[in-house]
Amino acid sequence: MNEQLSLHKQLLDALLLDYATGALSHPLELLVETHLAMNAESAKTMQLLMRVGGVLLEDAEPVSLSENALSEVMAQIDAEDKNQNVVSFNSNDAQASEGYRPLSNYLPQKDCTKSWKRVGLGVFEHVIDFGEQSGKASIYRIAPGRSVPSHSHEGAEITLVLEGGFTDEFGSYAPGDIAIQESGSEHQPVADNDGECIVFAVNEGSVRLTGPIGRVISMLVN
Amino acid sequence: MTTSFEDRSADFSSEEEIQLVSHDEIPLQSGMGTGTKADGVRPSSYWDNLLVSVGQDRDREAFAELFGYFAPRIKSFLLKLGTDMSLAEEIAQEAMIIVWRRAETYNPQQSGAGTWIFTVARNKRIDRLRRENRPMPDFTDPAFNQDSPETGEIVVLRQQEETKIRHALKNLSEEQAKMIFSAYYEEKSHREISEESGVPLGTVKSRIRLALNRLRAHLDDGEGKLRS
Repeated sequence: MNEQLSLHKQLLDALLLDYATGALSHPLELLVETHLAMNAESAKTMQLLMRVGGVLLEDAEPVSLSENALSEVMAQIDAEDKNQNVVSFNSNDAQASEGYRPLSNYLPQKDCTKSWKRVGLGVFEHVIDFGEQSGKASIYRIAPGRSVPSHSHEGAEITLVLEGGFTDEFGSYAPGDIAIQESGSEHQPVADNDGECIVFAVNEGSVRLTGPIGRVISMLVN
Repeated sequence: MTTSFEDRSADFSSEEEIQLVSHDEIPLQSGMGTGTKADGVRPSSYWDNLLVSVGQDRDREAFAELFGYFAPRIKSFLLKLGTDMSLAEEIAQEAMIIVWRRAETYNPQQSGAGTWIFTVARNKRIDRLRRENRPMPDFTDPAFNQDSPETGEIVVLRQQEETKIRHALKNLSEEQAKMIFSAYYEEKSHREISEESGVPLGTVKSRIRLALNRLRAHLDDGEGKLRS
């Protein structure tokens, strides 16, 4: 059990590091951002990772820009100042931090039947199209006590609980928790009895298969 | 098939060694240094203050000075990540324009100028790769701002913490440092680090975890547990 926990923490740290350096696919980045808004401990880790980035940036060997780089930038700034309010940058800040905010733009209404596809008894799926080959990203609604059919994953699957909770062979997950299924492992999540469980799941699929074997597979698939 | 893979991993490790050597050679106390690196080095608080001036007073001279320091470093960072020369320059300029626009939201209690500008540049780069606009890193978000006391000392504490992070980075084991530097300087995901270095994925993850724990320990209990 303890070993399971420490493995999970390793996975989470690796995922957070990938986020900090900008190495994640778009859907995974959104998943981590949502997680950060819900989990103070991970937010603290992220703050640390951004500071590491800041220290490394400050200490980087400078590479000169072209001679007129600064004057070009100043000219643009002057132009903006004349037009005033060109930049309405406060639009994001104005939104209160309510629950899983970063993801809320992608969430369809619960009663919009067109957006939700029934994929099992009491299980509905809404696929989010990120317009890139970054695996599959879906929001699942699972009725209380219902389970997603047992499945295994070709790529790693990363699941964030948005509402409610679920339990699988590896543990129990509450809102804000991330469950990480390694490639090839099998699991059967069961929603808690006390309410609907809503999760955001990203399956990396065949994305980032950069090894020699992976490349051959990608060629065959694409 | 396997040869090309091994070639790549060999390149990887030799590059790493070069980086590690230079990273170890940086003296811990700049006063003891030979000078090349220490020349013109200013404390982080200097940049924090400039950024505050830009935010509060729309101070163009302060901005120009920030530009002079950070734009070439953003460019350098982007070049390391494999961005081509002209795009790296463009992104550095665009990031600095965002710095100007958003400077009034900068809060020195929550982050240093270097950290803040790092996140701006990080986001700008991702935007350019994806051609979309993303919200600013929101350091005013409560999630980024747990249990912070309401005193002016917080800025000093935060600056001391950055010094500790710098120190902790220099005291990571070689293996741990390799993970961290590959991630930041080469934008490698932990999976790619594993594939290219031949280190098993599980080992990569545990090293990342150990490295971060090391950094966390420095923040939690100050000087106490420094080990070299």
